[in-house]
Amino acid sequence: MPRRGDDVTGSASPARFARRPLLKAAVLGRPDESDLSPITAFNGGLGPAERSLVYAVIGTILDVSPHILVLQTARGEQRFPLAASAEAWRGGAISPAALRQGDHAIVRRSLPGGPVVDRIWAEIGRVTGTIIERAGPARLLVDEGPAKGRRIVMIAPEATRRIQVRFPRLEPGYLLDVIGLKHDGFLKALIPATSQPPYRAGHAPAPPLVSGHIPDPVSGTAVWHEPGEEPESLLGLAYPALDPETSCEHGAFMPPSQAGDQYAVDPHATGPGCVRLPYLSLGSLLRLRNDCAGRTRLVPVTSCGATARLFCDRCVTCGTSRKGRIADLTMATFVELGGALEVGCFNATMMIGG
Amino acid sequence: MLTTLREVQIPLLAVLLLGSCAVRAWRTLSPRPGTAAGMGPTGLFPLRLRRPVMIIMYATELSLGLGLAVTAGRVGDVWLRVPATIVRMTTALFFLIAVGVLNEMRQRRPDSGCGCFGELSDTPIGLRTIARAALLAASAAATIGVPALRMPSSFAAAELWLAVLAFELVLIACLSPELGEILVRLGYSEPCELRRLPVGRTMSALYSSSQWRKYAAQLCTAEPADLWREGCWRFVVYPGIVRGRRVDIVFAVYLQAHRPAIRAAVLDAATDEILGRAEARESAVI
Repeated sequence: MPRRGDDVTGSASPARFARRPLLKAAVLGRPDESDLSPITAFNGGLGPAERSLVYAVIGTILDVSPHILVLQTARGEQRFPLAASAEAWRGGAISPAALRQGDHAIVRRSLPGGPVVDRIWAEIGRVTGTIIERAGPARLLVDEGPAKGRRIVMIAPEATRRIQVRFPRLEPGYLLDVIGLKHDGFLKALIPATSQPPYRAGHAPAPPLVSGHIPDPVSGTAVWHEPGEEPESLLGLAYPALDPETSCEHGAFMPPSQAGDQYAVDPHATGPGCVRLPYLSLGSLLRLRNDCAGRTRLVPVTSCGATARLFCDRCVTCGTSRKGRIADLTMATFVELGGALEVGCFNATMMIGG
Repeated sequence: MLTTLREVQIPLLAVLLLGSCAVRAWRTLSPRPGTAAGMGPTGLFPLRLRRPVMIIMYATELSLGLGLAVTAGRVGDVWLRVPATIVRMTTALFFLIAVGVLNEMRQRRPDSGCGCFGELSDTPIGLRTIARAALLAASAAATIGVPALRMPSSFAAAELWLAVLAFELVLIACLSPELGEILVRLGYSEPCELRRLPVGRTMSALYSSSQWRKYAAQLCTAEPADLWREGCWRFVVYPGIVRGRRVDIVFAVYLQAHRPAIRAAVLDAATDEILGRAEARESAVI
């Protein structure tokens, strides 16, 4: 029998997902079919994806001076003049000239498609999930969910107090969300990306009930994740509420077999999280607005973001957002929408169906 | 009128304190006590102190609620009304402290709710919540010196009493962000966007529809090439051939239990040109 669902973890066909908005528009008779062009980003091919990104560029630093940044990108070697006010991050705010050759970097242009760069993040990474093992005061093993696997987090000595203030329970069974520097095989945690929920992972409070239809647009928190298996420059997001009948909930959750596994949480089994979102599928289009930067993009759902359901937090980047994570963006999309990676979130408004 | 206003505060405050205490106790005894432990003002304290602080808050609310109820009658009138005065002054002090704590929480943890009524109080603390605490502090202060409560002496007095009580309840409701949450819970029916309907039932509805009968002869395969859901609709795509052209036949089935709307469209598989579109409401029960 042919596949009926979305094989999120296996050999899913991006072209099949990319065509869904068009087929939906055809059968429901939506008028704005011209809006569907950004779904070419879903193809995963670097060409179309690069064309979709007008602010963000991802690559490896070949050379950097106070005025010029040279990046090895998917398009080859590219030179970017640095704005006078350009800022860089590599474990903390540094001068752009202090960046290192060979660093993996994501940069933001000042103007869409323009040559000048005003923000650079080098070797930035993030781990979001459930602590399943603690070895010593600073080494944690974190489960990021069935789709992403496990990561090792080392808490930097200089960041210990800062992280423990926001994450007082660095114990197996509790949630962790930290930003830091990527190293070989682990993340050096430097910044708490949120405040630790007071409940154990998987015990998120029930969301408020909704009568009638789900409100559209939906407001909440947008966060970002590392690319993992996805193309780096993919314009897309991991959606927390994919259709349980045909999407990522079909991925089997491995029964406990290793030490610490009893603390791993299957986010699909923990209820809807603290925000009620309509069930969607891979390829669904969402119009996402960064309420802090006032920037809006049409973004396709490209992966399963069920881990976001475990967090019942708010973003306070500009005012206080509604509770709950509504979108887990790829790094490129987060930067494209004007987010600052080291902040970890922005207040977002999401319109379903574009 | 003023005397009635002051008298009404005593049962009102007692019910509010006992109600708040009951909701929190229920949350603490629920299977997810960790959720309640971090809610409200306890979040301002270090982790090891949160549980003791929460227990102290329960005990205080319970004592004050019971104290107000017990001392409202003749029991509170003995020894120059000292028992009643102590309980009412303590209640006023309790709500005054609450005003300060809520203001502090608003500054330091703007994302937290007040936790006054457990999970119902999830909304971030705003001026309304602080104003409610201030109103209750003023109400408690107004009860100091009120003699023992008696049944209204006349029908008119009872009416006045009820009118004042209703006015104050409306005022408190206006200052309570929990009210919206309560109303939603009372009138809840699951939106179609959240309804879980097995794929098999969608397919059953589709197979018994007139849309299916119309296009069945043109399908190339028995199984769909793609199947997905968006909100209230589930989409099913089959490859087909129409007048020698390779096409995709798309069905959209509305996710409802009875008489789901079903739409269909035919697209050229190569050019995506729409060749036909149809809609029907079916009588099938899925």
